[in-house]
Amino acid sequence: MSELDRRRFLKASASFGALGAIGAVGATGLMASGMPARAQGAKDAALPEVLQKQIPSTGEAIPAVGLGSWITFNVGNDMELRDQCADVMSAFFKAGGRMIDSSPMYGSAQDVIGYGLDALGAHDKVFSTDKVWTSGDGADQIAETSDRWKVEQFDLLQVHNLLGINDNLPLLFRMKDAGQLRYVGVTTSHGRRTDDLMAVMKNERLDFVQVTYNPVDRKVEEYLLPMAYDRGIAVIVNRPFRGGSLTERLEGQPLPEFARELEVKSWAQLILKYLIAHPAVTCPIPATTKPAHAAENMAAATGPLPDDKMREQIAAVIGVLV
Amino acid sequence: MSEWWDYGLADLLLFSPRVYYRLFETMNSTWWLVVASAVVAGLIASGLALRHGFRGNRVILVLLALVWAWCGYGFLWQYYQPINWAIPYLLPGFGLQVVLFAIFAARPLPLRFGWRGDLSSYVGLTLVAFALIAYPFIGLIEGRDLLQAELFGSAADPTALGSLGFVLLSRGTWRWVLLPVPLIWCVISAGTLWVMDQQVAIVMLAAVWITVFCGWLDLKNGVTTKRLTEAEIRDPAA
Repeated sequence: MSELDRRRFLKASASFGALGAIGAVGATGLMASGMPARAQGAKDAALPEVLQKQIPSTGEAIPAVGLGSWITFNVGNDMELRDQCADVMSAFFKAGGRMIDSSPMYGSAQDVIGYGLDALGAHDKVFSTDKVWTSGDGADQIAETSDRWKVEQFDLLQVHNLLGINDNLPLLFRMKDAGQLRYVGVTTSHGRRTDDLMAVMKNERLDFVQVTYNPVDRKVEEYLLPMAYDRGIAVIVNRPFRGGSLTERLEGQPLPEFARELEVKSWAQLILKYLIAHPAVTCPIPATTKPAHAAENMAAATGPLPDDKMREQIAAVIGVLV
Repeated sequence: MSEWWDYGLADLLLFSPRVYYRLFETMNSTWWLVVASAVVAGLIASGLALRHGFRGNRVILVLLALVWAWCGYGFLWQYYQPINWAIPYLLPGFGLQVVLFAIFAARPLPLRFGWRGDLSSYVGLTLVAFALIAYPFIGLIEGRDLLQAELFGSAADPTALGSLGFVLLSRGTWRWVLLPVPLIWCVISAGTLWVMDQQVAIVMLAAVWITVFCGWLDLKNGVTTKRLTEAEIRDPAA
């Protein structure tokens, strides 16, 4: 990224932060302001008013918090646990959520999502996000994934952890061109292979990337997020709570005084606000096994967002505590 | 660009301890008669392993083949495979172990079970007793329900641990053939348990080390190098 681009991004970032502080007013006002943040209020009157963020490549708005399925939805054929997952999905949709993310790597998670969508009759509510994760036949795997979700077409498919990208990315683009897929993306996690991912972002017309980002793992802030913003690539954030270990370690610690301004009730909400306040971030995807936590996570996409200064405070406080 | 070695151990673990231990709960309650029978098979095999006898040797091997077959099909395939994509790659190992036990049972025996009074015998007996009697109750210490007990003959970990013990209680030049599969399973399971933050991972690893050490001792002492005589193979009392 050139110095000029970087400066432009930082300026946009600062503007967004300033808006959040002024707008301590809430998410709805963000879009109307015409500020660089690609966000707007919820449109569906039946759903709670949650912050929406735009997918840069199309301008489509999606709720600023999604639902991950890594570990939490891999419950096999245990019907009791499957029903618990359906309850989590129900709470997520009721709270205004749409994006659910999974992967062929996540064991039975795809089947469990399909089970939940059927049980809730929620196929029209979900923004379906999955991955292709194979060095073999990607088309076969996508067909199987589709069967498991019980959906005909995915909103977004991503090359998981860049595996087999030379074959799988062209496959996804062909599917998109043929109208069989709406968005194409590439994922990585744990801060690995960032340089490889950035090389792909530079050379391919991606709609989405997915990366690990949270107040402790901030490597992507330096180059990847500015690059995504500059190139109009939506960013999904995985491991916002470091697989749960971050919130576990913060449990029992009092929230910082300044968190009151953000109207947060938990560390999880504070972390999510930290993430969605970043102008390049489109949608963190926290995973949970508890319906109450799904609703609580979605509530982070309401109310005021932190400005840049407060984001630094959040990262500093959490950095000291964990 | 990306290859498999890019993944760390933690990346490949995709289920929680809650879901993992629920597998045993559902299996134990659904297949309780088979699960109980497998434990009884283990108890019978352990009783026979401490005695000499041609028929006893064969019965032990048949029982071990049966419990490995059930463990592979019942636990690994029916319950574990839906949450662990790696199981289809590991299952052939269980099949191989079943075949090996069956071959040893079917042919004139190149190995013989029995108490020798050396370190390997003590370790073997300890492993068998631990797998059959102590392992199922480890969960209680960690606050899990008794219904989630991992039982020899059905759950893979105690079955592999106990099998290591049975092999150490035997002698013969081909004994080592029966070790790789349970040893490899113990190592893989130790990694899984370690990533899940389960202390019992140490037990699995310790069993691997002590088995390898005893195998080396037996090699030095001739337990696994001295061929059984024709008379020993033919005569159960020899």
